[in-house]
Amino acid sequence: MIHVENISKHYGSTQALEAIDFQIEKGTCFGLVGPNGAGKSTLMKILSGILLDFEGDIRVGEWKVSKDRSTIKQQLGYIPQDICLEETLTAYDNLFLFGNLYGLRRKELNPRMDEVLEQVGLTDRAKDKVVTFSGGMKRRLNIACALLHKPEIIIMDEPTVGIDPQSRNSIFALIHHLKKTGRTIIYSSHYMEEVEQLCDSIGLIDKGKLVEYGDMQSLLDKYRKPSLFISGVQITPEVLRSFGDVEEKGNGYLLNSSQPLLTLRDLVNYCHEQNLNPRRLELYHPRLEDIFFHLTGTELRNA
Amino acid sequence: MWAIARTELKKTVQDKGLWFWTFVLPVVFIVAFVAIFSGDESTSYKEVVTQIIPGYTIMFAFFIMISMVIVFVKDRERGMVSRIASTPISIYQYFFGKWVPFIIIVLIQITVLFGFGVVVYDLPLGDPFALILLSLALAFIVTGWGMAMAVIVKTENMGIALTQILALGGALLGGLWMPVEFMPEIVRNLSQVLPQYWALQGYKEIILSGGNVTDVWFHILFLILAGIAGIALALFSYPRFLRQARS
Repeated sequence: MIHVENISKHYGSTQALEAIDFQIEKGTCFGLVGPNGAGKSTLMKILSGILLDFEGDIRVGEWKVSKDRSTIKQQLGYIPQDICLEETLTAYDNLFLFGNLYGLRRKELNPRMDEVLEQVGLTDRAKDKVVTFSGGMKRRLNIACALLHKPEIIIMDEPTVGIDPQSRNSIFALIHHLKKTGRTIIYSSHYMEEVEQLCDSIGLIDKGKLVEYGDMQSLLDKYRKPSLFISGVQITPEVLRSFGDVEEKGNGYLLNSSQPLLTLRDLVNYCHEQNLNPRRLELYHPRLEDIFFHLTGTELRNA
Repeated sequence: MWAIARTELKKTVQDKGLWFWTFVLPVVFIVAFVAIFSGDESTSYKEVVTQIIPGYTIMFAFFIMISMVIVFVKDRERGMVSRIASTPISIYQYFFGKWVPFIIIVLIQITVLFGFGVVVYDLPLGDPFALILLSLALAFIVTGWGMAMAVIVKTENMGIALTQILALGGALLGGLWMPVEFMPEIVRNLSQVLPQYWALQGYKEIILSGGNVTDVWFHILFLILAGIAGIALALFSYPRFLRQARS
């Protein structure tokens, strides 16, 4: 269990984080989301032991970051957003470097290098220079470097940026496997559908504060408003307003109603009478992305 | 720590630019300037080679700072510094691991350039123990200052510009291009605070005057203290360096 206790961080007069408090259950995946400049990166730096001067504390099991930093770091595997590899060296060289940084000796490191390479599907490229790898392969090796020492906690900062669907799927499969083996994962991403798919709980940060936190399903239920989605039909918003509250969404409209099934029936009847054939007319369940926009707004962030 | 050193050394060996700056260009300079000044009848051949070979060796040893700046700034900008900071190793281990390969390169550079001097120009070496100690002190100060520069500068270009000022300005004022005796008094006084001056005077004392360690102890001490100041500055500036690092 990880306890993040009342963490605050200032950069000069700017408050980057304010009294952040949450817990993460062992063996679960915790999603950390927030707009740019929300304080997410600062929190990730604190969680991964890069930023040392902050207020509050983090407890990992019986250890406290303020007292047992080195012990906790040994339990951490940090996968940064940027691909941090020595590109002119081979995959083996990179793994050897990171294995050594986590204190692994050659005898235990050699078989571990082969194991993690197999886990990320790079066994046949072990002796090739990283500069010859595709973006997806580099991302997978980036992850492998953090898994060598079998960390209990894995911190992933946007691990799927700029990669092909195959590599993304392979990373998702690896995350599911890691969860099954009892690893705790802290996952940060701007891709809400990924977070929704992978994470058991989330923390949403905005303007340095934790604006929402909890179990993923409970959170989705909390913000679940009955609504309908209609698209691909020539109905004006004015007409739709006679059925309920209307808001534009993508290439269609979201129709909020207290009785969505009855409204759906009425809409079907209306379309039938008017000889209209909507491309989509369905009950709509809010996604994490809707909650994200609801809580953080849709205006652009320049931070 | 040794893994960082091993990785850095492997990367460095592959860097063709470093080979050029460290070995090829200094040899070209030595050959050219020995040829030019050998024609001067007022100066003996021995004085020419004992001025030019150590002088250009010292000057080009300072250029290792450019490679160090590039390595540290790149590591900072691509997130490697943050990633390493997330591992259990300490900043001392990090710096030591980064420092070892560069000190090895400078020692090899000094050996190669002096060796070239011995083979081609019959350069006398004097007391080998004193020569080794002074060379270690030289390698220590250039890499120590290189570390400080690498951690302090914001961009590669800024680091390269400052290194040029330190290396070329120090070479001019420290008497590496021309003995300080031929310079105005103000420059002679200024040169006393430059490591380049003490390194050159030390080499001359050993090579030209047959001095031993007791004759160059102050020169060595000066270089070591200046190197320690550089390393202390690098360690002091590390938190800011880490804050600027991408993650």
